[in-house]
Amino acid sequence: MARNSLVFGFGLLVALLAGWVGFPRVLYSRQNQPLAFHHKTHAEKSGSAQCNDCHTLAEDGKFAGIPSTETCAGCHSEQVGTSKDEAVLVNSFLKAGKPVPWKVYARQPANVWFSHAIHIRRANLECKQCHFSYGETDEVRVYEQNRISGYSRDIWGHSISRIRFTRHDGMKMNDCEDCHRQRHIEVSCLGCHK
Amino acid sequence: MKVTRRDWLVWGAGATAGVVLSPVPWKLLGDTSIWTQNWPWIPQPARGPLEVKASACTLCPNGCGLRVRMAGGWPVGLAGLRSHPVSQGALCPLGFGAHQLIWHPARLRAVRHRGGASSWDEARAAFVKACSEGPVGIVDGFPGRAASSVFESFAQKRNGAYRAVLGPESQALTPYEAWTRVPARNLGFDLENARTIVSFGAPLLDGWGTPGRFSHLWAERAAGQSDPQLRLIHVETSLSTTGSRAWRRIVIRPGSEAALASGIARVLIEDKLVPARGPMPLLTLSQAAEQSGISADAIRELAHTMVASQPVIAIANDDNPAIAALNVILGAVGSRGGIVQRSKPKHSTISTADLRDMRAVLIDSSMPWEFVPETRAEVFRFAAWDGGPTRADWLLPTPALLEDLTDMPTAPASAIETYAIAAPLVAPPTGTLSAAQFLAEIDPAAAPVEKIIRARCDELLRGRAGTVHAQESTPVTNIATAEKLEEQLRNGGVWVGEPPRAAALRCDLKEWPAERPSKPSARSSAWAAPVLPPLATKLYEESNLLQPVPRRNS
Repeated sequence: MARNSLVFGFGLLVALLAGWVGFPRVLYSRQNQPLAFHHKTHAEKSGSAQCNDCHTLAEDGKFAGIPSTETCAGCHSEQVGTSKDEAVLVNSFLKAGKPVPWKVYARQPANVWFSHAIHIRRANLECKQCHFSYGETDEVRVYEQNRISGYSRDIWGHSISRIRFTRHDGMKMNDCEDCHRQRHIEVSCLGCHK
Repeated sequence: MKVTRRDWLVWGAGATAGVVLSPVPWKLLGDTSIWTQNWPWIPQPARGPLEVKASACTLCPNGCGLRVRMAGGWPVGLAGLRSHPVSQGALCPLGFGAHQLIWHPARLRAVRHRGGASSWDEARAAFVKACSEGPVGIVDGFPGRAASSVFESFAQKRNGAYRAVLGPESQALTPYEAWTRVPARNLGFDLENARTIVSFGAPLLDGWGTPGRFSHLWAERAAGQSDPQLRLIHVETSLSTTGSRAWRRIVIRPGSEAALASGIARVLIEDKLVPARGPMPLLTLSQAAEQSGISADAIRELAHTMVASQPVIAIANDDNPAIAALNVILGAVGSRGGIVQRSKPKHSTISTADLRDMRAVLIDSSMPWEFVPETRAEVFRFAAWDGGPTRADWLLPTPALLEDLTDMPTAPASAIETYAIAAPLVAPPTGTLSAAQFLAEIDPAAAPVEKIIRARCDELLRGRAGTVHAQESTPVTNIATAEKLEEQLRNGGVWVGEPPRAAALRCDLKEWPAERPSKPSARSSAWAAPVLPPLATKLYEESNLLQPVPRRNS
């Protein structure tokens, strides 16, 4: 009986370890960004203290997203430092006139309609409430992509169990609903889905 | 230590329990379902520049205002346009997802002749041959459009017949044609000024008239009030959504609407509740009670209740003349809160000729798929979607919603005159032609739809009346040219005419019309699109989008 329990427990332990530790490593492919971009360094050197100094909203409320290469060229039309990444930026993208193929951590599925303008201007949400404060660090995050669904890991959240220890973790529909429910904002399906 | 077969089995049981307690099965299930949504052959919303455009819905003649969200030049979401004076931001459930109909699996993309592949050249040759051999009938579901003018003119030139098939709202107005000498398409229900509405089976909260028009009135003046400003009395034979929300619900025997209307009219006259305006009904009160299945006292009480809060209007769900006659007795014809004349009659050649006498019949895509002409003629049917088995000889693919230029005249039951233009927001698939384009190719002398729309804008401008409602309201007198007016309308503006003059309508009813049972009511009424995909039907049945939530988050 004791032997059976021991063997059963061993099987259980192996499966739990494989499921909780091994599975996420297999499920997500890890990809580096094309360039190592340091938010904190750029903010300090350019004097841009706010996210929307670079990630702007247009007059009509549309979110401009990631700054264009023209913005980068404002300082990096020629190489100003010695880093290898800056050389790649200048020679492979700016001088070649190609956009940098950034991997977008928070890209939602194509059937989702999300308005940054409403959430920033009307709800007064801070960027870090959804995107964490990566903009205040020099951390260059690895982009993790779900091998099956193709979505960024930021959508599901970094905790495979979906038990969130930080507020910003996860950008699934449930996360939107939780926040809306807390604020008593009712939105129908077609408010967010195309 | 020897590892036995039992050990492997126990180990497997433990591992199985561990897998179930791990995220593996649950996460794989979710991710796999997402994977199936992203197969390469499934249409995906485009990524690209986002913009919002205004337009008009062309699924039914009500022409609700549409707010179209576009991504990368493709429509990805529809919502109601709040600035629209009639629909006021509401849409029917089908309208909310109508942009997806472009991708409907049953979309017609090629000409078909009796089930086989064919071409436009062959269809054109067959139609020209038919025209040379005999009269042609053209059937239109949304009369009054620029395309309708093309149909009318073509039929007139070829000694054919132009038939307009009216929806239930317009049919309810047809009995007044003979008594007022005003065509039904120039009449409307002035619901906005009524205090009591008696609906004889008309699904006012469930598919009648322009979505949002009555539901807004009901939400503002009736919902949740024990003594509402607007009393809705719903007469029906079986429980409906409208009946469940009405102020009072009266259940009668099927087909006895006319008898009940006669009974009410008799009480109104006998009890001198209204001035004598028309003839006494033929039925006695006891006969009306017997036929309708409710007691004479109940009919008497109902008549008294109806006139307690005036203006009062009765609305039928078909062309039942007894219910129209009840409106005459109530004094609702030509009065505020009743039946009003919204526009001046124009010359029209709408025919009642029998389609059985035709050599060929052309059915416009505005006709519901269920419409089957009673004829042995060669049938040329235009449609954007294949709705299943049909008697049509030719199936001709036509542009769908948001793909074709069309104008939307006044909605069938509206009390005010309106005019809107639905400009094409996306290119139609190659190989599609509208019925008006098809006829214009055969008769090059015919004016194209674009030209007719410009002429109508010019006419509105010269009339110097009304206002264009868009983000801001602009009186027509402040618009300099017809081009500017057309541009505003193409960008989602709606021209709204002057309010109707109720007293302008005179009614002369000499004899109480012969009794006849009402036709069985169709729940979907005017909102039935040419083809309803199964999902839309389910949405229609189960959606709560019909419930007005005017200030949901205020």
